[in-house]
Amino acid sequence: MTTPTPRVIVPSAAAKGEIFQVKTIISHEMETGLRHDDQGNVIPRKIINKFVCRYNETVVFSVDLHEAISANPFFEFSLRATESGRLDFVWEEDGGAVFALSHQLTVD
Amino acid sequence: MSLTRRDVLIAGSVGFAGVSLFSLQSARANDEALDLVEQLTGRTATVSDRLHLIMPTDFPTGYTVPMSLYIDSPMTEADHVRQMRVFAPRNPLIEVASFHFVPQRSLPRVSTRIRLARPQHVIAVVEMNDGNLLMTTTFVRVATDGCA
Repeated sequence: MTTPTPRVIVPSAAAKGEIFQVKTIISHEMETGLRHDDQGNVIPRKIINKFVCRYNETVVFSVDLHEAISANPFFEFSLRATESGRLDFVWEEDGGAVFALSHQLTVD
Repeated sequence: MSLTRRDVLIAGSVGFAGVSLFSLQSARANDEALDLVEQLTGRTATVSDRLHLIMPTDFPTGYTVPMSLYIDSPMTEADHVRQMRVFAPRNPLIEVASFHFVPQRSLPRVSTRIRLARPQHVIAVVEMNDGNLLMTTTFVRVATDGCA
């Protein structure tokens, strides 16, 4: 399995109070734990189970993911531009691995 | 072809039967969904048209079915959405996702892609800040099992 690679599409500037769209995706198989290999053994579950978006350290959007989220989980959501600062995107995998990206946003 | 009184009556009764059968089916789906939500959350939800669950009615693959969800809410401190949960009752594991929003900071709308094992009514349940549960369902027919 390849290393999960996160990607985001976020504007780099927004007007104060403006609603802007965020698109996020991470390459990940989202192994459900329901499948079997050639020998009939269960392939253990390994999914991204949590996604969190922080805006200057404040959580503004989060998702608890279950097995029924498709491979390469994709989310599109909308935030309000309040002040300039950093957006942090964090994906947590079963077993504790964490994948993260951050993005600088200028608000005027 | 001329339209006789008989034709009109037949057409009318067939149409009426069709409509009532359809509403009966969706009413039954809502009842089942309400029961399921009560089992899962321990609380009673109400069917609401403030909640919009947008999915294709027919989709060729169950692996990546697009889903958009939004709620009419001002997202103020006094009136906002706490969380949205999505269930696929005919999947081997029925929980799909929970989305959490923050008043003034995020809008109660999200798009993603989900797996469906078979044709079914997908359920969205929203918990408002006053504790009320709102619910809606939409029927999606998938051609292949996305959970195998």
